[in-house]
Parts: sequence; structure tokens; C-alpha cells
Amino acid sequence: MDTNKTVIEVKELSKTFQDKKVVDGISFSVFKGECFGILGPNGAGKSTTMKMMYCTSVPTSGSMMILGMNVQTNVSEIKSKIGVIPQDDGLDQDFNVKENLLLYSRYHKIDPQIAQRRTDDLLKLMRLDEYFEQPVPILSGGMRRRLAIARGMINHPEVLFLDEPTSGLDPQARLWIWDFLKKIKSEMGSIVLTTHYMEEAEQICDRVAIMDKGRILAMGAPSFLIEEEIGQEVLELECPIQDINYIAGRIKELGFNYLIIREQIYVYIKSTQNSDALLTAVRTTKMTLRKATLSDVFLKLAGHELREEANFR
Amino acid sequence: MMKNTTDRFFLHFYNSMTVWNRNFIQFKKTWSVSLFWILIEPTLYLVALGYGVGSYIPTMNGVSYIDFYFPALMCVSSMMVAFFECTYSSYSKLTYQNIYNTMVLTPLEPFEIVLGEVFWGATKGMFSAFGVVFVATFFGIVDLAKMIPVFGIIFISSFLFACIGMIVTSLVKNYDQIIYPTSGFIVPMSLFSGTFFPIDQLPIYVKILTFLLPLSHTVSAVRTLLLEGYKWSILGHVSVLVILSVICLKIAAKRIQQKLIS
Repeated sequence: MDTNKTVIEVKELSKTFQDKKVVDGISFSVFKGECFGILGPNGAGKSTTMKMMYCTSVPTSGSMMILGMNVQTNVSEIKSKIGVIPQDDGLDQDFNVKENLLLYSRYHKIDPQIAQRRTDDLLKLMRLDEYFEQPVPILSGGMRRRLAIARGMINHPEVLFLDEPTSGLDPQARLWIWDFLKKIKSEMGSIVLTTHYMEEAEQICDRVAIMDKGRILAMGAPSFLIEEEIGQEVLELECPIQDINYIAGRIKELGFNYLIIREQIYVYIKSTQNSDALLTAVRTTKMTLRKATLSDVFLKLAGHELREEANFR
Repeated sequence: MMKNTTDRFFLHFYNSMTVWNRNFIQFKKTWSVSLFWILIEPTLYLVALGYGVGSYIPTMNGVSYIDFYFPALMCVSSMMVAFFECTYSSYSKLTYQNIYNTMVLTPLEPFEIVLGEVFWGATKGMFSAFGVVFVATFFGIVDLAKMIPVFGIIFISSFLFACIGMIVTSLVKNYDQIIYPTSGFIVPMSLFSGTFFPIDQLPIYVKILTFLLPLSHTVSAVRTLLLEGYKWSILGHVSVLVILSVICLKIAAKRIQQKLIS
């Protein structure tokens, strides 16, 4: 990551759909060579933010520069230098694997000979070379996603945008994509992705922004955010609902922060705090001590109430 | 300034051809199915109406019924094919297949996508006109020398109906709603545009009304050209088609753009 070179510069960006503020004055930068993750529950405004970055949604106010170009005026130039992997893959069902890549290279106006070479390289890279003649409808979910990623890379983009790259995939396919993204991160200019999977974000993102209700709640390296918001470890306590207040009181007295979700108490333990006193105090209940994760940060900041699927398009 | 505008026009045109090309490649995969409607349908119509019904009609406007009907058959088939291509097929690409949504992730602009699609719709309309002419040559009712300008008119007309189809695509909420403009506009137009009977003897009000239907201009232009030769009135009819095409293309492009860019 090169913090001297910004590839994306967002200032006070807002987007309003029919009087509803979906994105509400967010600012952030993405640096060259970094993987930047946007996390948040459904309806947080992640996808809209992504769409504004790859120019299929127009900002209501604020400024957004991609590779030094304005998203309001240099749309085609920006699109020629970025790669986009949308959540629904958007593969052309009427064509086979290889044809999909060749067609897309035509849309990008890539010279046919170069396109042919790049297509073969990408098929190998994405382990699709054996399936190049398979029609899209019979591909598995993982193969489709790999093909969509290959398609997004056909124009050798400087920034790769991935909207929920592993949603709906089986664990093997998901792992493969994580490894792949980690591997290409250094070779690629930059990667911007949205995800629901905190583990994924923790593993592959250099920095993340946690969004909710159109705003950025926190931003930084996952390890930094975990240390800052939660601490080193989390003690999970399971206790009957009538005892929760009593136990929470004891924990508070000892100076620990905590979060209660139904019959579960999550106690945050900072590296400077001594957990022995805590463990003695609550010894009687069922408990698990574990490493703090980005999920803890997420639940603390974005809350734990269930989000209904919001569709803003 | 002028040069800049022409450059942009050619760039749009060039880019739209990549969209056209996608459809053409797909068409080549399934051309044998297309051969069916391209050749069988005009044969059925020419036999059933041209000869079947026509045998009871000694002459129509001074020519045999099949000579009267053949120009209209070309116009109607090309209209139908262009319109349906840019409604059912384009609606599917816009919604279920997500094809436009993916194209718009590349440097292709929404206008270029729409232009490519209507060019394709018009091209398919032409295929159907070719089919009618091909079949009609076996019936000996074609003057091939006049076919080149006729195809020009048919192409403009198909382009117009493809644009109208694209507007419909941008308006409807599901496949079923495409029935409204089909039954309410396209089918009546195919019946009352001087296709099966001449407009001339109709009362003046009805006559004016029929000229509000774009297809009547196509039919008049093509039929005049084939039966009477080059007349100034053809230019008038073609101008109407061109002007309507430009207007409808702009509306379609704007509406589809709103669907693709939020």
C-alpha cells in the first residue's frame, strides 16, 4: 500500500433516492495497492456507494474522484480503467465461458488479438481453461463468480470493484476467492469490495469502513479497529435472562465494557486489562474466552437488530 | 464544433455496433429457427391472402390483389419483427438477463446500447423483408431493380418500430403489459395502414387518422415506389419516418438511461 498515491478520493458524498438519504455525507480515500472493504448490514448504503464509484449511480452531492477523474464528467474514461464484478455476476447466458470474455473485451474496445491472449491467460488464472466451451447456465456458482472476476479483469483495470464477491458460494469456492484476491492484491492497482463476511474482511482487507444508515461509523485497519473498539479478547457469557442485569453490574464494577444480545453477554477485554478478576467474578456461568474479531466491532457499532432486506433500485 | 459533433456521432455508431454484433453472433447460433419465420410466414400469407382471398378480387387500384398486397406484407412483417425484437427480447435483456446492466459497466454508454439494440431490431426487420421478397420471387411478383430503394425505406421504418419497441420496454413492468401496445397499436396499425385495402376511398376523417399511423407512411412509400415508380410523395412519407425515428430514439435512449443509471 502506498499512502502517497490515492486512487479514490471521496468527499462529503451523498445520495438521495426519493427523499431517502441512502448515503449521507461520507468521506474516504483508497490508496494505491490497497484492498479496501466496505462493511455494513443490508441497506447501509454500501452498494450505492460502490455504484457511484463505478459510475452507474450519480451522486446527489459531494465529490468523488476515481484515478484523478471526476465520476460526473469522465464516465467512459473511468469505466475503461476499472473492473467491476457485480453481485449478480451479470454473465451473458446466451454464450459460453470464453465467448463471455471475448464479448466483454469488445465492449472495452480491446484489440481482438490482445483480447484473445488475455482471455486465454485469464481462463488459466481462474482455473476455467478446461471449461472454456461450457455454456454459462450449466456452470456452478463458484465458476460463475470466477468467470465474472476474469471478465472484470479483461481490461487490466487499475481498480477492481467487487460487490459481495463471495455471497452465496460454498466454503471451498469462498476460500479460493479469498486466496485469489490476496494473491492479486499486490499485482493489482487496488481492490475495493463490499462484504457481509467479517472474517473475509479481516483476512483480505488492509482497511475497512463500517457503514450503517448511509454513514461511515468507523474506518481503519481491521486489527486497529478491533483493538480500538473491542480490545484483545472477548468473553462470551451465557446466562439466564433474570440474572443478566446482576452479572452485567458486576462486570461494570470491574471496569469492563460489554454488549448484551438476548441471553448472551459479550465482555470486551483490553490488552491492558486483567481478565483474572473478571473470570473469578463470573465463574459460575457458561463462558467462552476467545480472540476479539471484526464481527465484534461490527455488532458493537452497527447494532444487532435484524435488518430487513432493503431494495433501493 | 461541427467536426467534433460528427466525430462523436461516428464514435457512438461504432460503439453501438459492438452491441449489434453481440446480437448478430447470438443470431448466427440459432439461425435455423429464424429461417422458419423468415420464409414460412410470408409464404403462408402470400398464399392465403394474395391468392386465396385475392382470387375473389379481380383488381385493386388497377393491379392484381397480390401485387397490391405484397408491398404491405413486407412492411408489416418487418414492423412486427423489429417491434417484437425490441420489446420481448430487449425487455428480457434489460431485466432478467441483466445484459444492459453489465454492458453499462464498460465504456459503452446507455445511448450506444440503445442505438445498437434498435439497429439490431431494424436488422431483423430487414431479414423478414428479405424473406418476403425471396418467397415472392417464386411467385413472380418482384421487380428486383426497385428493391434497393424499397429496402432503404423498410430499414428506416423497421428502425422506427424498433425505437417504439424500446420505449415500450422502458415503460412496461412485466411481459404481460407488452400486450397493451401490441393489441392497442401495432395490430390495429397492421390492419388499417392501407395494408389489406386502399386508404384512398375511405372518408376524409378516417384517411387523416390513418396517416397518424406511422406504418401507413411506410406502406404508401413502398407501394407507390413499386407500383407507380419514383414520386415526390415518397420523399414526404420517408421524411415522416425519419423525423419520428429521431424523436423515438431520443425518448428511448433517455428512458433506458434512467433505468441503467440511477
